[in-house]
Amino acid sequence: MVNSLLLVSVLLFIIGTVGVLVRKNIFVVFMSIELMLNAGNLAFVIFSKDLGLVAGNSIAMIVMAVAAAEAAFGLALVMLVYKQKGSLDIDLFSMIKG
Amino acid sequence: MEIFTIAFSILCIIGSLGVVFFKHPIHSAISFLVVLLSIAGFYALLSTPTLFIMQIIIYAGAIMVLIMFVIMYLNLGERNILNEEFLVNKFIIGSLIALPFAYLLIKAVRKYTPESATLPDGFGSIEIIGLNMFGNWYVTFELISVLLLGAVIGAILVAQKEKNNG
Repeated sequence: MVNSLLLVSVLLFIIGTVGVLVRKNIFVVFMSIELMLNAGNLAFVIFSKDLGLVAGNSIAMIVMAVAAAEAAFGLALVMLVYKQKGSLDIDLFSMIKG
Repeated sequence: MEIFTIAFSILCIIGSLGVVFFKHPIHSAISFLVVLLSIAGFYALLSTPTLFIMQIIIYAGAIMVLIMFVIMYLNLGERNILNEEFLVNKFIIGSLIALPFAYLLIKAVRKYTPESATLPDGFGSIEIIGLNMFGNWYVTFELISVLLLGAVIGAILVAQKEKNNG
């Protein structure tokens, strides 16, 4: 039971990784990152239940807050780049450097 | 119990494949919603009702609405869909990079022997989580508030700069 749930979490993480590596659309990359965060969260909660420790639940809530901060700032950045370049290609984000 | 676990697992995997393989971002967003809701179901099955509610309110409610709002605000039509040919070798290269991680993680998961510890009283209730968070994790909690403040200020700065330039 626990092992199969952990397997689901691992599969979600791997699919998220492949999405980040393969796709070009910035929204899909963004959602793949959120997918990886969710997979980590799920693993935290599974271990928290299995070991009877509450700390895993606290960490999961903290990760949710981090994801919210990421969404707030990341989407503002996406809108800025889209308005200047008119495209959603992730490669355009290389212009932010420096 | 068992049948719910299987159903949520299948929904999770199919939805996450949809996130990666759909062409239009709004389709990806909707299948991502399926993933988030089935993960909320996992939280309910894992006897953590607080996280179940948080997942639905914060993830499916706030973050997904924000993503969908931005996708619709940008008014993406056919012309904005990137011309991504779904080249097989691209996916093969991506999978080759991800494969070692998958191998290690699956190996670790297979080796793990469940402890099945007895849960403390009120496990997963908001009272226990709150006591834990403000007891052992209060520094992290404060740092999270600083992070959120930084993100808000950053978002405002980015938006403002754009207005001045245009």
